[in-house]
Parts: sequence; C-alpha cells; structure tokens
Amino acid sequence: MISTIDNIINITGTGKEAVISILQAIQKEYNYLPEEALERVCEITEITHAEIIGIASFYKQFRLLPAGKHFIKVCIGTACHVKGADRVYDSVKRELDIGDDEDTDSDGVFTVEKVSCLGCCTLAPVVQIDNITYGHVNPSMAKKIINDFLDNNNKAKAVRTLKPVKDELQGEIRVGLGSCCIASGSGDIKEAIEEVVYKNDLNVNIKHVGCVGMCHQVPLVEIVANKNKDSRLYAHVKPEDIKPILDAHFKPHNLFKRWKNNIESFIEKLQYEERWEGIEKYSIDVREKHVHAFLGNQLPIATEFRGIINPGDIDEYLTRGGFSGLKKAFSMKPGDVIEEVTSSGLKGRGGAGYLTGVKWQVVAEQNSDEKYLICNGDEGDPGAFMDRMLLESYPLRIIEGVIIAAYAVGASKGLLYIRAEYPLAVIRVREALDNCYERGMLGDNIMNSGFSFNLEIKEGAGAFVCGEETALIASVEGKRGFPRYRPPYPAEKGLWNKPTLINNTETFAQVPYILSKGYNKFASVGTKDSRGTKVFALAGKVNRGGLIEVPMGITIRQIVEDIGGGVQNSKRLKAVQIGGPSGGCIPHFLADKPVDFDSLEEAGAMMGSGGLVVLDETDCMVDIARYFLSFTQDESCGKCTFCRVGTKRMLDILEKLHDGKAVEKDLDELKSLAEWTKKGSLCGLGKTAPNPVLSTLQYFHDEYMAHIKGVCPTGKCKPLITYKINDKCIGCTICAQNCPVEAIAFKPHEIHEIDVDECTKCDICRQECPSEAVYVE
Amino acid sequence: MINLKINNIQVKAKEGSSVLEAASSAGFDVPAMCNYNGLEQFTSCMVCVVKDRNGGALMPSCAVKAQEGMDIVTEDEEIFEARKTALELLLSEHSGDCEAPCRIACPAFMNIPLMNRHIAQEDLQSAFEVVIKDIALPRVLGRICPAPCEGACKRKAVDQPVAVCLLKRFAADNFKFIAQPSKPDKNKAVAIIGAGPAGLAAAFFLQSAGIKAEVFDNHEKPGGSLRYDLDEKELDKAVLDQEIEVIKNCGVTFHQNSNIDSKRFEELIKNYEAVIVATGNYTDKIGSWGLENNGKTLLVNKSTYLTNIEKVFAVGNVNRSGKLAIRSLAQGKEVAKIVIELLQEGVIKGKSRKFNSVLGKLISEEFPEYLNEASSDNRYEPGNDGFSLEVARKEAARCIHCDCRKPENCKLRNYAEEYDVSKKRFAYTKRKPVKKHIKTDLVVYEPGKCIKCGICVRITAKQKEKFGFTFIGRGFDVEIGAPFNRSLEAALEKTAREVAEACPTGALCGF
Repeated sequence: MISTIDNIINITGTGKEAVISILQAIQKEYNYLPEEALERVCEITEITHAEIIGIASFYKQFRLLPAGKHFIKVCIGTACHVKGADRVYDSVKRELDIGDDEDTDSDGVFTVEKVSCLGCCTLAPVVQIDNITYGHVNPSMAKKIINDFLDNNNKAKAVRTLKPVKDELQGEIRVGLGSCCIASGSGDIKEAIEEVVYKNDLNVNIKHVGCVGMCHQVPLVEIVANKNKDSRLYAHVKPEDIKPILDAHFKPHNLFKRWKNNIESFIEKLQYEERWEGIEKYSIDVREKHVHAFLGNQLPIATEFRGIINPGDIDEYLTRGGFSGLKKAFSMKPGDVIEEVTSSGLKGRGGAGYLTGVKWQVVAEQNSDEKYLICNGDEGDPGAFMDRMLLESYPLRIIEGVIIAAYAVGASKGLLYIRAEYPLAVIRVREALDNCYERGMLGDNIMNSGFSFNLEIKEGAGAFVCGEETALIASVEGKRGFPRYRPPYPAEKGLWNKPTLINNTETFAQVPYILSKGYNKFASVGTKDSRGTKVFALAGKVNRGGLIEVPMGITIRQIVEDIGGGVQNSKRLKAVQIGGPSGGCIPHFLADKPVDFDSLEEAGAMMGSGGLVVLDETDCMVDIARYFLSFTQDESCGKCTFCRVGTKRMLDILEKLHDGKAVEKDLDELKSLAEWTKKGSLCGLGKTAPNPVLSTLQYFHDEYMAHIKGVCPTGKCKPLITYKINDKCIGCTICAQNCPVEAIAFKPHEIHEIDVDECTKCDICRQECPSEAVYVE
Repeated sequence: MINLKINNIQVKAKEGSSVLEAASSAGFDVPAMCNYNGLEQFTSCMVCVVKDRNGGALMPSCAVKAQEGMDIVTEDEEIFEARKTALELLLSEHSGDCEAPCRIACPAFMNIPLMNRHIAQEDLQSAFEVVIKDIALPRVLGRICPAPCEGACKRKAVDQPVAVCLLKRFAADNFKFIAQPSKPDKNKAVAIIGAGPAGLAAAFFLQSAGIKAEVFDNHEKPGGSLRYDLDEKELDKAVLDQEIEVIKNCGVTFHQNSNIDSKRFEELIKNYEAVIVATGNYTDKIGSWGLENNGKTLLVNKSTYLTNIEKVFAVGNVNRSGKLAIRSLAQGKEVAKIVIELLQEGVIKGKSRKFNSVLGKLISEEFPEYLNEASSDNRYEPGNDGFSLEVARKEAARCIHCDCRKPENCKLRNYAEEYDVSKKRFAYTKRKPVKKHIKTDLVVYEPGKCIKCGICVRITAKQKEKFGFTFIGRGFDVEIGAPFNRSLEAALEKTAREVAEACPTGALCGF
C-alpha cells in the first residue's frame, strides 16, 4: 500500500492543496480511504492528520469505511423524488437485505447510496450501478436491474476497429451521447451501429453528438444520407432496431457484402415479420408538430448546433463559426470586451443574477501580479442538469467563453471546477482542452494575440455547498468547503487571495455569441432586465422533458404546455418548482408569470441554476418542502448556526407535519425560523434554503393545515396513509406475489386484503394491480 | 484610522479592524462566541450580528471590516431577536446541565456537587463553606431535611442517589464554625418578626453582610417550629441550641417573649429600615396588622416577598402553609439578599435564578460516561451518628459531576441569561447521548456541549499539535474531535489547558 500511496503523491505533489486529488486517487484505488493510506499521506506530505480527516469527512465522495465491489447509486433528485425514488431506494436495500443503518450487503458486493442528482431527470427514477444507468426504475424492478447488471458485468465487450473513413461518404449517423442518452442505452446503440457499419463495410461517418435536448425521446439516432441530404430522426431506438434502420438508408459498400446482407435480411424477414413496424414507431420527422413545438419555441445560444456537432471536434466547431467570438475579442481592447458584455445585459446564470460585465470590470480593475478565473460547474441542485449537458455537449464553446473572459479581466490561469458526479463531462472537457492546447487556443500566445492563458480541470468531491463561490475556492485550496462572509468578494480576494473571476458554466457559454454576433443581438432577446436566453432542465411530471433553452420572459405555461407538451397522464398542473433547493414553488395560478430574474424572485422562487420540475395534482407540497429541506440540511456545511441548526429544526417541524403530529403553533414557528435562517445565515445556501418552505407556506397553506389535522390530501406522506384493496379486485394474486413483505395473503379468486401492520407502503401492489383495486386512504 | 459611527457615536477604528473590534474598543459590548484573540476569525456562531444603517441587513460583526462612513447599530429589537434565536438554536442541541439537578431541586440552591467534591478530597473547610453560604442551620437541616435534592439526583438512574443530606450533616458536624461577629451600623437595623427557620436565616445572612438584625419572637427560646413542633426524637434540641448560638455569636439580637400587635408592628416599621415578617403560620392576629391577606396566608410579591406595605417583607409559612423547613430557610436567605440590596443600592431587585440548561434523565448508554469520574459503589448507609470521614469520602465520590465545570464563565449560559433564552423553543428531537472524554486531571471534553466554533481546532493547528482537533463530518452532524479516533492525550499534547480556557462553553473544561 505504501508504494501505491507514494506513487500517487509523486503525481499530485506534497502541498496542502493536493489533498483532495490525493484522496480521490486513493479512493479510486481502494474504493474507500484506508487509515493506513491516510497515515502515509500525513507522513510524506505537508497535510496534517487533522486536515486529512477534516476533508475526508467533509466531502461525500469519500468513504472512511470499506465499500462493496459495486456501487448502487439511487438518485433522489427532485424529478426522481416525485416519481417515488425513496421507494426505489427502500426496495433495492430490501432486495439486498441491507439493514437500516448499513449500506453494504453482507457479501460485500454492493454498496447502496442515495445520490442527490445524477442529472438524468427525464429518465426518473434513475439508479446507477457503477457505470450502468437504469432509467424509469420502479420498486418492483430492483431485482431485475441488479441481475441485469451482474449479467452484463460478466460479459466481455467486443472490441472492434473501424476502418478510417475513405472515398466519398455515404452519409452521417448521429448518435446522441449525452448522459441521458447513454443512460437510456445509447452506448449499446453505438456499438450496434459500429457492428452494422463494420459488417456491411459502410462508408459513413459515425458521429457522437452532444445532447439534443429531447431527453424524453432518448436514445436518439439521426441519419443523414448523402444522396438527398434528407435527415431522419429515430427516437427510443433499441440496439436490435439498428440494422433495419441502417439497411433502409445505406447499401453495403461492396457487392459481396450487399449480397450477403440481402440473404441475411431475407431470412430475418422470415423470422421477424413485423420488423418495419417497430422502426416506423420510432421515426420522428423534425417537421412533426410535437417536435416543432419542443424545439420551435426554443432559442439556442448556449446550445447552438445542438445535436449536430461532435462535442470534442475542434475542426467542426471552427467550421461552424467557433472561436470567432474569441478572434473578435482579441481584435478589441480588454476594456471594450467588458463593455460589450456589459452592454449585452448578460447576468450570471448561476442563480443570483449579478451583471456579468460589472463583475468582470471589478476583476479587471484589481491591481495584482496574478489573477485567476474559475468556471463554476459544480452544479449540485437536485433536478438540474444544465451544466452537465453544456459541459458534455459544448465544451469548446465554454472554453472559448472562458478565454474571452480571461482576456478581458487579465487572468493568466483558469480552472474548470466540475462536479464529481459528472465523469462524462470531465472526459469531454479534457478532450476539448487537449485539442485546444494542440491548436494553440490555450497556452502561450493564443492565436498569436500575445495573450497567454492556461486552463485545467479541477474535479469536485461531492459537496453542494461548493457551488457557493467562497466554498468553492476553499475546496480548490484543499480545505473543507466552508464558505466565508463576503465582502471581500472573490473578484477582490479570491483563490490564494488573488482577484478571481468566478462565473457559472452557462454564463461562459453565452459569451462567444455576444462577441461574435454583437451585444445588440443578444440584448434584443429577453426582457428589459433579463436579457438573452436561459437554459433549463425541464423534468418532473411533464410529457416532454429535456434540456431547453428559451428566451427570458417566456411564461411558465408556455414552457410546460408548448415545449413540455403538458402535464403527464392528463393530470392537472399544481406548481412548478424552479431553482431547486434555493428556489420556490410557483403555483399553477401564477403560470402566466414571465420567467425572468425579477418576476421569479417576486413570486418567492429564484432562477437558481435552472432546474424546472413540474408538479401535478398528486404531489404533496409539504412533502416537497420537506424533501428540499432535507436536501439542504444534509448539504449544509455545518458552519453557521442558522443554517446548521436552523435548517435542522425547520426539518424537524416538517417531519412532524409529515407524521401528522404538528400543531398550528408549529406553522408559526416554521415561518419565523425560515425568516431568521434567511436573514441570519452566512452564505447563499442558508439564505435561500428556506425558500421552498416559505413559498409553499404562502401558496399552499391549506395543505399544511390539512397535515395538522392528520390528513395528507394527496396521500404522499406515508405515516398518514394506509393501503387498501377494494372490490374491483379480481383475485389474480399479482399483488400477493409481488409484495416484498408478505403483507398480502395469497388467495386466488378472492378479494385480497392488506395487513396494515406488515405493509411498508412500498406502493408495488398499487403499481402492479391490473384492475386498479389497490388504493390509498 | 477609519471614521465610523457606532450607536450614533463617532468613533475611530484601526485600519483593518473588524466592526466587532471597533465596537468593543469604543466600549460597546457585542456578544461573540466563535471569535478568539489571536486567531483568524471563523464566523460561525452568528451571535455577534449588528446592523449598518446604510443597508440595514444583519451582519456578523467579527467578519465585517470597519469602513469609513459606516453607521453601526449594535442593539435593537431585531438584533436582540436574532441573537436570541441563534442562542436558542445552539441550546437546542446542547446536551448538558449547567447546574446539577440536586442543586436546582434544593430550595436553598446549595451547591451540592461542589460540597461533595470537597468532601471527596477531604477538604472539610471548603465543604462547610459551600454549605453555610446557603444554609443557615446546616446541622439541623442535616437531620430533618426531607432532601428533595436526592429525589432529583442523576445518580438515581444508575443505582441510588448520593446521600446528600447526610453528607451535608457530615460537613456541618465536622467543622468547627466560628462566626466572625460583624460590627454593623447601629442606626440601620432590620426587624425580623419570628425566630423560626425563616427568621433565623434572614437574621444570620443580614448580620453576616453587616446589617444589624433584630429578631422579635413570642416564645421563650428562638427556633420556632424547629423547637416547638418537633420532638426530641425528630431533632436533638442541643443541636438546635448550638446552631442558634452560632447566630447569636454573629451579633444578631434576639428579643424573646415579644408580643407584636398592630401598634407594635407600626412602631417597628417606623423605627427600622425594613421589617421581615417570618412568624410561621398565618393567624388572624397577623391579618389585623394591615397586611394584605386572603384569610389563610399573606399575599406577597412572589419575586420580592414585598407585602402591600412599603419596606415590609414576609417569608416562610406565613405566605404558604407547609412544613418544609428548608424552604423557609431558603426564603429567609433570599429575603436577606433583597433587603441587603435595598439598603445598599436603594432598589428592590427580587430574586433571580440564572439560566439553566437541563439535560434530563440519564439513559443507560450514558452511565459509563459519567461513572468514569465517579465511584461505582452502592450508596453507603451510616449509623445514627452519621458518616465517618472514610465513608463520607467514599459516598461523596459517588457524585457523578453532572454539573458543568464552567457554570460562571460559560459564554453560552451567560448570553442565554442576557437574552432571555428558552432552551425549549426548538426542542423537537431527542438529545444526542452525552459523551465525556477525559485527559486525566487536565481536561474533559463533552461533545454534546460543543457549539462547533472551531476555536480548539484553530488553536491545535496553530500550536502544531501532531493530531490536534478537527471537524469531523459536516452539516448538523458535524463534530469536533481528534482525527483517527485518537485519545485526548494524543490530540492535546501541548494545548490541553489552552483549549479548555478558550472554549466558550463547557465542552472543553479544565479539572
């Protein structure tokens, strides 16, 4: 072990700031942090025992106890939560027979964890086992996915080498490889395509494209045949569909293969009569009404060329106008670049909405030998995946924005701080960075401008609070992610006490457009005080979820109805949760409010980073408030009293409500405590944590009152409900067979009964019942 | 220098100093807990919040630098409420007692655990001093007190309560107390009607404080109900006589066989600085003195014992019938204090008990934590003559030291008192079990009393302890402790005393 540790430290260095990287490397090696390893680190680096434990126990990524061979991560992000993630978590633990206070099964194979958001909100509920993501998981599927994983894990993957593309291309096959796409199986799709292309010797360009935004349709495959330049989009594709799809578009390149293929197809045709039906079902015409509605109301700026460009392909980016914003910037004085950004009216997309140009100006004005720049990609809101999508799909645009900013403020070093849970984003960005260095877009004397700038990746270690800029800086410096009081702002005193520009990922992604197209073009979009577009992660109870980019000022109704295609299962819209744990719930009767910084704040929500979760009439607002509070409470760094203890006491009251044990006086205390926590907390996390409580108290007071009377009107709060079976029961025994705790006796042809003492309210029986006989009271 | 206003007064502050520093050097008292001289500020407790009138938002004064033109307010209603709420939040997770429950249960508020510790160390003089500070007739009470303290004793949850009453008797019987006769101002005297436990206690404490006390009693001998309601079996009268002798030696004047009627009563009011009615049971005769009553008792202010007549106080059974000598004795002590303050400062302050955090009954997993510091023996039962020194020492060593080691200089308690805090406001969940880590004879660490201000973490880092203290975990569950589960000995090799001194609460205390 000692030599392993020594090797790690040879790479990371022995300085205090290396501690997180060291711990990440150790954890990667052993799946946890063995004490012996940490002792060794303290022995040969500047890091003390107190520091290493302080840090290892602060960041969620690190484990001090051994873990199973595989990690099962049950996403409990907002979208997953409203679709029953807690029950999925319970069912997975039950399946593996893991006790309440434990997280690893007795054989040491699986460790089960809750994770705040995997960023695959449109596939909710989501479970990730190591690198395989399962979407739309319900509690009765626990066994299935675990077995599937074990099967897959034992299978060796075929390795195939594709021939380099030659001659004239027959066309292009675009496969979405955003995290949602991959989670829904696009990796297998890609393999299937490669297999067909290899077998048929097709001369096509298989292209990985970033997120198309239509995450509700994944996996997506788009075929562009050269003959007629006709593009055809296939949704919800399965690996077995690939061959027929490709056959329909491309003829095999050589004669023998064409002939062989024909025979094979003929045989297949005999075997699978309905072969075409399946494909027709998945084919979508981009001109089709609902696709048009989804995409037509959007305005891609940060997400320009979505679904068309390969995220890491710098040539393609260049041919599509990439780096023209940077070129333009280099032709201007730094001050004029700032002027341009200020005039565009761009406000920070991280949540608070501070004018970007003004912030740049402050950094530019600082007199310092060194200035830093940090791109904040530590998106941690449950129910938000904008940063992830942008980093995965448009890394070059973000890098371009970062370089422009660095030039404008005079920064010489930059960091892309990327959340630990986004491994794909890290891979894509790293590839893009390498390409940029190779082409002279980074490093010394960029594009012969005389400006030099270095940019690297810093991986977060799992702490929501590190999205707060002072906590983020602490984390980069190798400390616990404690925020500190501002001022001084990082613009004056940031990383290593030097002036530091910190902007959100999306903010940087908007910058190249402003420079290349001019501030006027950007400013002409949106509303007076909120210019341009905003990227949202649309999820929850909506028909068409996904990553959307819309002009500021669009109404909530337009987003939900037009883009999102309305609420799922013809339920009524109850509210839209905007801004995650810092935001609030905007009730259905305010759905015509325009979405911009000021209106949202006025309504008790905030833009936040842009999670937008649609809630329907079956969602319990007390449960939603409790959900968010338990999130922020869990993510509080534990520094200041109001956040550390205040959020806990608010959660205590919400638990009382959830259990039906609260009295009216508790509501007054809840409101009062929420207000004090807002006023008294040190950083943004605590100051905004009460918003979900305050907004639901304001708009859904009746529901709180109902809980005081011991009633959960939507039947979501477990302690307040019981499961029953009515006389619609046909005696099919499916409920009894599926019940994980044997609370339903097996009585064929009779009306079944649920033993309320045994029932764990896992909801499986209700979901499985074919005759809607199971109900909640 | 920076010019700013604090509470409407123009002050100067050093460049780079915080608003907290500026305020305190200008003489304004701003409460602060996580701030410590010589250490980098951390800003966690949020009790030091103040406001700048420009803007008006609350801000932690330790973190904000004094700036030209600031207009700081250090106290107003909102600031008071903010500090109070912060303190209530901190106390909502505070697992510990300020005072031992026996002391709280004792009507005389005697510092029982301190007495126990002195006895355990065979320091009999100190033990007696603790007793006599609150109890005027300790030998008598050591024989007749029903000992509510023992009913409250935390040790009861483990096995049997500590034999407090007998230990008090031991302390009183085994120390030869010679009262120093005081020479008070002859012209300023207080009249006390009744020489029962209440009257005797009032007289003793007044005289001890240098105020002439004159007792008027209608019996032949002083002692009241102690002498005339108890038989010899219940109380050896020789003991009572000896205790009264001590009080006489202090200089108290006794006027026995004095019959007070309403005329005589008025004369007393006229001739004395104050009159204390301690007659024992209420009678119609007392009712005729013009004191407000309900036909069964006198009606007095519960906090000051003041009757409807100026300068006339009433204590003991005359206010509330019942035969609890210790309560009468306690009231005698309290009224003495009130009268002393009236005569010396000209104001009637009333009695007050300082804020007290209450832990509640011990749960079994906490027993070993407390027994670490105590003898695990069962309760000793002495013969009729009371404890021998040997047994008293053993019995006293059973006391589990549940009282806090920083009852006077704990900032949390002092601010809780100042900001009129309720510990119960946020008491929604069960407390965390108490843990006590001990570095022998040097320091005790109780994480349950920690407010996570990190002063100790900063000190151990600054002094380059090999292990030191660190934050473990995060959020509400964050704890401060030694890394790698090291012992306190390993963690605090050099800094044990320093951290105990610096800790703003009773979490880290010296022995």
